[in-house]
Amino acid sequence: MKRSDVAVTGIGLVTPLGLTARDSVRAWESGCAAPKREVKELGGTSLAGAEVGALPEMDAAARLGERRMLKYMSDAAVIGCIAAREATTDANVRRRFAPERVGLYAGTGLAGAGVKESDSMIRESIGEDGAFSCRLLGSRGLPKTNPLLSFKILANMPACIVSILESVKGPNLLFTPWEGQTGAALAEAWEAVALGEVDCALAGAADYPCHPATYVFLRQRGFLRDGEYPSPAAAYLVLERAERAARDGQRVHAEIGEMEAADCGGSSFDPLAPRMGRSFAAAPAVLTALACLTDVAAPASVCGADGLAFRAVVRRLP
Amino acid sequence: MRRVAVTGLGVVSPIGVGGDAFWDSLEAGRSGIGRISRFDCTTFTAQLAAEVKTSLDVPDEIAEVAAQDPKVGFAYAACAEALAGAGMRGLTRDCLLHLGTSLEVFDLSRVIRQGQPDFRAVFDRPSGNKRLGFQMPLDTAAAMIAETLGAPGQSLTNCSACAAGAQAIGHGFRNVRRGKWEIAVCGGFDSLINPLGVGGFQLLGALTTDNDRGETACRPFDASRSGVVLGEGAAVFVLEPLEKAVAEGRRVLAEVCGYGSTLDAYNLSAPDPGGEGAERSMMSALADAGLEPEAIGHINAHGTGTRLNDQVEAGAIRRVFRNCWPRIPVSATKSVTGHLIAAAGAVEMAACLLALIRNRIPPNPSLTRVGEGCELAHATGKAIPFDGEYALSNSFGFGGQNATLILRRYDGQH
Repeated sequence: MKRSDVAVTGIGLVTPLGLTARDSVRAWESGCAAPKREVKELGGTSLAGAEVGALPEMDAAARLGERRMLKYMSDAAVIGCIAAREATTDANVRRRFAPERVGLYAGTGLAGAGVKESDSMIRESIGEDGAFSCRLLGSRGLPKTNPLLSFKILANMPACIVSILESVKGPNLLFTPWEGQTGAALAEAWEAVALGEVDCALAGAADYPCHPATYVFLRQRGFLRDGEYPSPAAAYLVLERAERAARDGQRVHAEIGEMEAADCGGSSFDPLAPRMGRSFAAAPAVLTALACLTDVAAPASVCGADGLAFRAVVRRLP
Repeated sequence: MRRVAVTGLGVVSPIGVGGDAFWDSLEAGRSGIGRISRFDCTTFTAQLAAEVKTSLDVPDEIAEVAAQDPKVGFAYAACAEALAGAGMRGLTRDCLLHLGTSLEVFDLSRVIRQGQPDFRAVFDRPSGNKRLGFQMPLDTAAAMIAETLGAPGQSLTNCSACAAGAQAIGHGFRNVRRGKWEIAVCGGFDSLINPLGVGGFQLLGALTTDNDRGETACRPFDASRSGVVLGEGAAVFVLEPLEKAVAEGRRVLAEVCGYGSTLDAYNLSAPDPGGEGAERSMMSALADAGLEPEAIGHINAHGTGTRLNDQVEAGAIRRVFRNCWPRIPVSATKSVTGHLIAAAGAVEMAACLLALIRNRIPPNPSLTRVGEGCELAHATGKAIPFDGEYALSNSFGFGGQNATLILRRYDGQH
């Protein structure tokens, strides 16, 4: 099957360095490191003083032009949707492509971020003996719970909300929860465009691994090494055939010669970690976006906590 | 492009563990639905589920994790059965392992400290087993399968909710067909039968509260249908090039010949009432297989037993199959297994595959009076004979993800 050249025509980024691609790249090029905040809930343990990456203040409703859907969205979904909106706007996706011919290929992280909703539910479900009670969960806990909780913890929701807000109706694949899985999603998107299975692919990921329970989990399981910290981030790319972009007069940020996810057989490696923290599922998409936008980017390769390495061959266009 | 054979099948379901036991119950219309026994649900409004009650033959390290997250055991057992059926001793580097699942298990009892919710409790009480804790990532099963059954060339965990199992199979099929992988071991596994899983879906109003109806409470396409009954289980398939399987003397169970996936982009919890996404999913699978709708001899519907979903799916089927729908028997496996969420598409493809092998179409036993708008050629009552060449299985996911698979009877020609 003939493969076509694949162009990147849209990029959206939300990182601790900035809430847009431009701001994130500017901060990256100037050598900034991500601001951090303390995880106060871990005070009184030997993890006291633990830090996670912090995003700048943002008005999500204004960025998305949408308030109603926010109540369904986890933190990861919010930043994923903002990044996706920036990317589709950049590439004029709605104006140029039939929704049925646009595919969605995405990675999503641990669901821990969504469980912050569960605090009141758990509180109401504790019996006089101080232990969790299923009976109390049914009688008191669930009635006190956000009825939309499932939307915030189901792993496919961040990407499904992207599909609704961006009107993406084509083929789709969602993988979870680590870097290599997102890398596989990006590689699938690249291949689907190159082989003509879709006219356009919206590909990326969002992760918000900053909930206190998630932080403890990441430390206890060794996913965070000494000096590393988790960070929220999201990135989406719009991929299309280079000839279509040229025909439409669409600006091309970069061309992707190859994208692949393959067994790395070694310990995880994330070149963003020293300055941006570890955004796990989002990292391959963030790296590729940076490689498309700046010569100061780290190599677009990452070895995930799942033992899968991702590599993109990016040729940035002036 | 290469033809793709199914050479291995493993099933763990509420109505039987192993392909044969699953089929026997399915053909007989025996339901696995009953009161939830896994936790005290007496104060929940939804008290029914289809639980896997058969104990599984799994290694100790899997059993320990499965005690907290049963779906890990289901995935292992289905995978082991599929590999054995295909004559494989384990996973190898030329295998793609791709499994779909939906929701992490959260052990809520681990975040209580001095009678209050406090996430420091997770830190206070580390488990002896590194895999057990407050949360368990969705790739746990794939990682443990690789540790116990051999490392695949690539391991993927799909999280497309109710479409995840079907997507994993479709993706594996396409990769074997185009020669990217020699073997795809793919399917789905899931269990939401835990306090947060059942509670979360209850809050959404998706589950039936018709608890007194017992084993017939899941009623796809019936006028009295009242919602989903959660089920649990797994199904895993071994896919490989047909020519190679035949040359090496392996039994070909059927061929996978078409796959389509679409998005509704409409609403998170309800399908597009026009059914356009479902329709495109089926049309896309038919086009992928190079088939006209008339070629399909049996449809295994997604059929969840909810008011809107069944009506929308029935309408989409009637539009896709135009004037031939009245002669295509439709079954709805969830009537006896409940909704296996991410495993549903895989278990329902297993039902299609076994229908092709056994020449019988299983019934939808809880369907007694067809609901308005749900008119299709439903297989009701008893299993009926089947000699068609192609079977189609639909999976339409929460969040608007749709997937359709088409299987072909293997006729010994290659």
